[in-house]
Amino acid sequence: MKQVAYYKGCLASLSAKELDSSTQALAPKVGIELLELETVTCCGAGDIHEAEPDYYLHLNARILAYAEATGAETLMTICNVCTLNLRQANYQLKIDDALRARVNKNLETVGVPPYSGNVEVRHFLWEIAEGEGYELLKQAAHRGLKGLKIAPFYGCQILRPSKILGFEDPDRPWSLERIIEACGGQAIDYPAKVKCCGFPIIQAREETALGELIQPIEQAYEAGADAMVTPCPLCHLSLDAWQSKLKKATGRDFKMPILHLSQLVGVAAGLHDSELKFKRHVVSVDPVLEKLEV
Amino acid sequence: MSEAILYTDSPTMDVRLKIWRFDSTTGDRELKEYEVEAPEWATLLDVLDIIKDRVDGSLAYRKSCRMMICGSCGMRMDGGAVLACKTRMADIVASGRVPTISAMGNLPIVKDLVVDMTPFWSKFRAIGPWLRPGYDRPDDGKEYRISQERMNVIHKESLCINCGCCVSECNAMESDPEFLGPQALAKGMRFVGDPRDAGTVERLEDYNDSHGIWDCTRCYYCNERCPKGVDPRDAIAKLGAESIKHGIDRDMGAKHAKWFVKSAMTTGWLREAELVPKTQGIVSAIKQTGFALELARHGKVPPPFPPHVAERVKEARLLYDLVKEQGRDGALGIVQGEHALARIEFLEEHGARLNAPEIQPGVEPPHAEG
Repeated sequence: MKQVAYYKGCLASLSAKELDSSTQALAPKVGIELLELETVTCCGAGDIHEAEPDYYLHLNARILAYAEATGAETLMTICNVCTLNLRQANYQLKIDDALRARVNKNLETVGVPPYSGNVEVRHFLWEIAEGEGYELLKQAAHRGLKGLKIAPFYGCQILRPSKILGFEDPDRPWSLERIIEACGGQAIDYPAKVKCCGFPIIQAREETALGELIQPIEQAYEAGADAMVTPCPLCHLSLDAWQSKLKKATGRDFKMPILHLSQLVGVAAGLHDSELKFKRHVVSVDPVLEKLEV
Repeated sequence: MSEAILYTDSPTMDVRLKIWRFDSTTGDRELKEYEVEAPEWATLLDVLDIIKDRVDGSLAYRKSCRMMICGSCGMRMDGGAVLACKTRMADIVASGRVPTISAMGNLPIVKDLVVDMTPFWSKFRAIGPWLRPGYDRPDDGKEYRISQERMNVIHKESLCINCGCCVSECNAMESDPEFLGPQALAKGMRFVGDPRDAGTVERLEDYNDSHGIWDCTRCYYCNERCPKGVDPRDAIAKLGAESIKHGIDRDMGAKHAKWFVKSAMTTGWLREAELVPKTQGIVSAIKQTGFALELARHGKVPPPFPPHVAERVKEARLLYDLVKEQGRDGALGIVQGEHALARIEFLEEHGARLNAPEIQPGVEPPHAEG
């Protein structure tokens, strides 16, 4: 078992509890032991980086410090935005000794252990897309997906900026497709799979955000997808919950089921209802489950 | 050896390209494939020159300096904006890929690879890309000198060559064509951060308009595409931070951002249920009641009570007070991390070169050994 410090982030603790429960249930099946972090806070979601950037750096340093204190070498995320925010701060602290010294002094002043720069931030997607995690995933996904057509949706902040994310080619990613195929599904290709879902501005600029949101859903729908899958709970929230607003704005009702990555693999691995929690979705996942005869 | 490469004795390669040809007067559009012999050192621009010279003189594209300074030759390769003069073809040829070349996005096409830059220049003009001097002449009558520290604040933004690559894939501009966009806003930061400029507050007020800073959807395409390392998204974040520092926070985007700060220092986690009223105001939030109820049915509106509180959240509160005292607010909070981000490629995990020379903007680097 690989021990990782588990950073679930805000949404998986709040409106996307189904992401947390399915990740917790799936992790041991793919060789990952989750070490819970009780003392950490929000990463700032890019908003604190924009409002109070120095505070953003300190909050993320505090998260990294508590992750390091668990003894794990990896801080595992389940959200794109957490991944970018934490990786960005981590690089700044690892590379710039003077900056790390200043931040550590501040952390110590308020009673936080110092961060020495020995943690790597990795998304759950990367853990199961290659290496041992991928080998175990193939065994775990014994129930399969019966050739279901799945549209992978990456979202932005797990691909770009690639200098900070760096796992795969941001214009030609492969990880979600590989996992879909390993689970016995059929990956659908469509141009908007790497574009923005509009979530960061969905409250401040709803019209602009909906103009972005419709692209992946419409393209996946037209390519005949049975469902979409995403590694990000923010993308999940806009793709799932805002479909009703798209209907209101455009008259088109896609009824496209949206799955979290851990739910898609979880279905193929035979996780229980109580772990998958599909009832928490706004758009019904029943058509997918019927096809799978779950 | 063909006539095309008489000027060189370099080894050559066969380059295959597909180019989207377009004629705006007729609306005709055609994907044409070309194969030419080119020197192994050829860039995409060199290959286009060979095609135009030897195969089809009617191919239209812009170029001038050929050395990443003028910003004329922005175009798309396989859907991503590049500078043709910066893109070497050898690795692409070796991989067997036949790339598709097309005009940049988010701008109207005039012919083939040439776009109409008018909307680009008008947004550039709209941010006031000139100094509004507001400084006293030094007593000694010499020129006004800026410290290296102050110059670092706008070092990256000063590198912009107005090529438009950042605009090409801007997802927010695709949805809202009036969005000022990454190039204009990065240039705006170049003046907001300039200590000689007297228009800071006025500029920030302007950039806070409905199609300004808070229109950015954080897709990070601009950072990914910029051929000069400007990182326009980071420049937009700097403008956001400067706006809030100056108390310019009327936009819903600013209120949204501030609520995350408030949440982190009170409960540690986002106070999600309160985010809509705090961002949009009570009246607008009430109008959203129907939508909220629908979400609530599926547990998507977590109740604010009891709040989800992180253990030892007091530390997050104390940290806030501490960093506020230290005065690295506004853009400085982002600038302080730029040096490290510029060096990521030298990290071991990115392929060795840990001992790469320390290069600071404005400081002469140590000479390499050997």
